[in-house]
Amino acid sequence: MADSPLLQVEHLYHSFSVGNGFLKKQNTLQAVSDVSFSLAQGETLGIVGESGCGKSTLGRALLRLYQPTSGTIRFLGEDITHLTKKQMKRVRRKIQMVFQDPMESLNSRHTVYDILSEPFAIHKLGTTAERIKWVDELLTRVGLPTSSAALYPHEFSGGQRQRIGIARAIALQPDLLVCDEAVSALDVSVQAQVINLLLDLQEQMKLTIIFISHDLSVVKHISDRIAVMYLGRFVELAPAEELYHSPQHPYTKALISAIPVADPKRKMKRIVLQGDVPSPMHPPSGCPFHPRCPYAAESCKVTAQHLAALDSDAIRFAACDRIKLINN
Amino acid sequence: MARSFFPQMNPVTVKKLRRFRSIKRAFYSALILFFLVILSLFAELLVNSRAVVVWYDGALSFPTYSAVRTGADFGLDYQYEVNYRELQQLFQKQNQGNWLIMPPVPYNPYEQDFSAENSPPHPPSVAKKHYLGTDVSGRDILARLVYGFRIAIGFAFMTMFLCFLIGVSFGSMMGYYGGRFDIISQRFIEIWSMVPTLYVIMIMVSVIRPNFMLFVGINVLFGWIGMTWYMRTMTYREKSREYVLAAQAQGASTFRIIFHHILPNTMVMIVTLAPFAIVGNITQLTALDFLGLGLMPPTPSWGELLQQGKSNMEAYWILGSVVSAIVLVLTMVTFIGEGIREAFDPRQHTRYI
Repeated sequence: MADSPLLQVEHLYHSFSVGNGFLKKQNTLQAVSDVSFSLAQGETLGIVGESGCGKSTLGRALLRLYQPTSGTIRFLGEDITHLTKKQMKRVRRKIQMVFQDPMESLNSRHTVYDILSEPFAIHKLGTTAERIKWVDELLTRVGLPTSSAALYPHEFSGGQRQRIGIARAIALQPDLLVCDEAVSALDVSVQAQVINLLLDLQEQMKLTIIFISHDLSVVKHISDRIAVMYLGRFVELAPAEELYHSPQHPYTKALISAIPVADPKRKMKRIVLQGDVPSPMHPPSGCPFHPRCPYAAESCKVTAQHLAALDSDAIRFAACDRIKLINN
Repeated sequence: MARSFFPQMNPVTVKKLRRFRSIKRAFYSALILFFLVILSLFAELLVNSRAVVVWYDGALSFPTYSAVRTGADFGLDYQYEVNYRELQQLFQKQNQGNWLIMPPVPYNPYEQDFSAENSPPHPPSVAKKHYLGTDVSGRDILARLVYGFRIAIGFAFMTMFLCFLIGVSFGSMMGYYGGRFDIISQRFIEIWSMVPTLYVIMIMVSVIRPNFMLFVGINVLFGWIGMTWYMRTMTYREKSREYVLAAQAQGASTFRIIFHHILPNTMVMIVTLAPFAIVGNITQLTALDFLGLGLMPPTPSWGELLQQGKSNMEAYWILGSVVSAIVLVLTMVTFIGEGIREAFDPRQHTRYI
């Protein structure tokens, strides 16, 4: 890992308050709790988890689209957690986001030119002539004809639309790209194209990518390291290959065993988890995974688990103090 | 790439306009009304006591848009404004090559014609060029209808514009900011909307005797509320969509998000409501004028004509012409409103996935 990380997240919490009546009791939904990680320049971090586990909230909190409840986010060494809107504008040039559904995230009333030139307009860059040139370059870069500039989003296919979304995100040449389920809404064949585009762009522009998805095989393909989330917490963080070969945390084990393999002869031992994901409004005591964990012990109901290094090099992390016991 | 300077209209909008065109009665109502509004802007050339063109002593003049010319200017023995209708007859009698062209209706809406032996109202007469007769003070009804139309349409558009401006801005701010601002504003609006509008307008009008702009202002004071409800809800819905989040991630300002991103997506509703707002405003003005609490007399007004017609039922031409005019205009605007609603119906254009 490089000595100065691009992004450093420490003990990030984000909670939503649910039900805002005058007399009703307010409930809090802990969407992200105690997430810490750091990200080196040019690295790709995959974040996987079931729906509702807080992946997207984490992504949005990193961009300060949601104000984190507590914790710090350091970008290039600077604490951006409490920057004002004005100060944040400068940082936004460097952190961009690709959204899940391009039909939703592109304003259907704007032409592609409007959409792609908007980042320049917001940050007051370039003249109109320059912007037209830049938009053409962006379109070429993401593999669309320059004539698309005059069209509206609904005139494109899903994959093309996501290319526009990516073009918008890379318009200001950011350092960090947060892809929130960027390919989940696309067909499998188109997914591959868009992922390859992202990988190409990463190489050309030295992008650092946080790739959020529920699709384990997609994440495996693109990521250097993968974080597994469960109920707002990181339960395991490991290099991609190692995570797939030897998952440590019981939850990761179950997830990996559920990936379909295109080999009818191969016998798989599938770990089927019991029960549902507990409500994040009333998370279980102790380790949040204990009600569904096949290895749970009495102590798990009491002791909260924190992400801890499994080896001396601090490459693999897991949030389970019984890991050694389980895996032997 | 020049196309991106002038992006062609959104294909969906084009589709909506085509659909509007295919709704015949709405389309033709729009055409006719548009034509009438344009005509009314040039009412001075069509309905006026001043001549359109005068040829006198080898010089052309256009009295409609020039300074007042007295009788003395044309060799007559009076110092007040020349009567062009009499001047026309005089020119014809003298036959010295001088001539002038009068508008098709040679009366202005204020002058009282007492030339007949009996007292007004006079029934319609083509010979005297009172095509719809005169009212109780001898003023030409057609002239008053035309100028009254212009004032009513002007009032309706201006009131609508100001109401929408305030209502849209305030409503979208409520929807966008939400929270405490929303709650406090909503309570304020609820209280404000409880004010009995018509009475307050009547009291204010009878106290301050307003001119046109002030009168518009008084009506806007109570007219902007309705729009805020719609805008608040629409903005609330649009705000939670991802394109707003995407704009925030780009660093867009709140102003930009509301007016550049959210507003175009609520435009359909604003456009759909506009014709109905216009109908409402015309009715409001006519009602207030009918009660004598609208624009100050002698402003030409449909409501005031209606009042005269009601009090003088035997002069059927007063009530007949003003009621026909009101019914025609309001029906046309309503047709347009219906057409727009039909053509812009989101169910026709949205695919729910």
